[in-house]
Amino acid sequence: MSDSEDPTTQVAPLIQQIEGAVGARLRRRLVEHGVSAYADEQLFERVRSLLQHAADGRNLDVLLLPELLGDDVEWTLEPSLTWSTHRPVVGRAILFAKRRLLLPLTRWLFEYSQSNFKRQARLNRILLACIEELAIENARLRRDLETLTHRSKDVRM
Amino acid sequence: MKLACVIHRFGADIAGGSEGHCRLVAEHLSARHDVTILTTCARDHVTWRNEYPSGESRAGALRIVRFPVRRQRNLHEFRDLSDRVFAERASAAEQEQWFKENGPDTPALLEFLERRGSEFDLLLFWSYRYYHAYFGVPIVAPRAVLVPTAEDDPLVHLEALRPFFALPAGYVFLTPEEVDLLGDRVPVRTPRAVIGCGIEPSPPPPGPNPHASVSSPQPPIPNPYVLYLGRIDPNKGCERLVRHFLRFLEMTERHRDVSLVLAGPANMPIPEHPAIRRLGYVDDRTRDALVANARALMMPSPFESLSMVLLEAWNLGVPALVNAKCAVLRGQVLRANGGLYYRTALEFAEALDYLLDHPAIARQLGDQGRAYVDREYRWPTVMAKLEALLALAKH
Repeated sequence: MSDSEDPTTQVAPLIQQIEGAVGARLRRRLVEHGVSAYADEQLFERVRSLLQHAADGRNLDVLLLPELLGDDVEWTLEPSLTWSTHRPVVGRAILFAKRRLLLPLTRWLFEYSQSNFKRQARLNRILLACIEELAIENARLRRDLETLTHRSKDVRM
Repeated sequence: MKLACVIHRFGADIAGGSEGHCRLVAEHLSARHDVTILTTCARDHVTWRNEYPSGESRAGALRIVRFPVRRQRNLHEFRDLSDRVFAERASAAEQEQWFKENGPDTPALLEFLERRGSEFDLLLFWSYRYYHAYFGVPIVAPRAVLVPTAEDDPLVHLEALRPFFALPAGYVFLTPEEVDLLGDRVPVRTPRAVIGCGIEPSPPPPGPNPHASVSSPQPPIPNPYVLYLGRIDPNKGCERLVRHFLRFLEMTERHRDVSLVLAGPANMPIPEHPAIRRLGYVDDRTRDALVANARALMMPSPFESLSMVLLEAWNLGVPALVNAKCAVLRGQVLRANGGLYYRTALEFAEALDYLLDHPAIARQLGDQGRAYVDREYRWPTVMAKLEALLALAKH
């Protein structure tokens, strides 16, 4: 049976249709609110696809910029609680008091802050991914521009 | 063959996904094999409190041996440790400690495996994330078949699991996405099968009737409605589902009369809203009626290894709207051509509008889902794949 005779309703084209409709609605709203650049549908689609790839299509644990920033303990948010002490004897008592007495009393505040820290940490990663996607795009454009510049020089000579 | 099914908790009244899968598979295996269930005395998956008596009992053809849980789970310590482990800040020892804290801490079960594991031809372990599997598989590795029920959550990527996943003599997967998830951590030569789970055919439903109402709940559910079935929990994506649905109601022009029905035990507050109906636990008859009359099944979970509810909906010819961020759900919908998926609130609203605007196409998607279940998820098909895998793993 050829595709045209296949009576199956295919999901993939329906999803494309839905994504297209959502994109059009988003673009309309943004244009109505003053982002005139998105009057150009093609431009909007390019921006959307780039940001979508950064937010959704990338492994946020593997990014270039964090590697360049060095020791991540110094700059990443640390939402989890770690217990340590440098005092061999008194330290244990202090840790015990913190874990068993203070933490139970303040856990509600800790958990409230922790969930917000986790969101912020995730958003930071997404922003880093966006920056990296833009840097890649910029590097490609620069390379293409240099190639074109060389070509035009060659033609003139 | 003499087989053992090793699972963290077991009972006809236990609703968990992997526990239900284990019970159904064990019951079907017992038609041809001598099957023993090795499990704990726990019923509650949060505390692991001992509730069943320890020792031997029977459930039909199944022999059940229960071992007591040594200590209940300390939820605060477990959560703090989980934060460290999932932030990739944990040492190897802490990663291993995570599996102890996750429980159910049942050393008597491990001692049994050491003493008597060799009496079984094969031991099937469900759910790698729990104590019994993580510490049990290494004891009987040459006879161990793992049913990982893995989801794409941070746990599955732990470094401590790399040597563990290399141990079993065979693997039973629920979906092709689960195979991809474990990837090269499963040695190439290890026998494996993707079996999913069997489901009995349902009598053909009368088809969605826009004028019908489901009368068992009081007051009856007015049509049209869309349905969420299962534990109502933020981890299952239910908070987001409620938010998306309320946003859909604000945006839609033609379908403001649609309700969202949530059927299942709730672990989260549900907003009071005339279009949201919370039913709590429902019996099987009501459940089937709810599914059969729903315009679509909502499946918002970001983490699934196999959605049985999705198969149940398709079994009754009902289309699904699923969270695309879960590769398993997206994969199931695409393979079945049995529904739509969404990533954002806007896509959710657009997709739901589409299903409600096009009832004939929605019905066809549901029928295609049922055809997919017929092809892949009937018990003879599932058990043929499993028997072939067991034969390979035994040699």
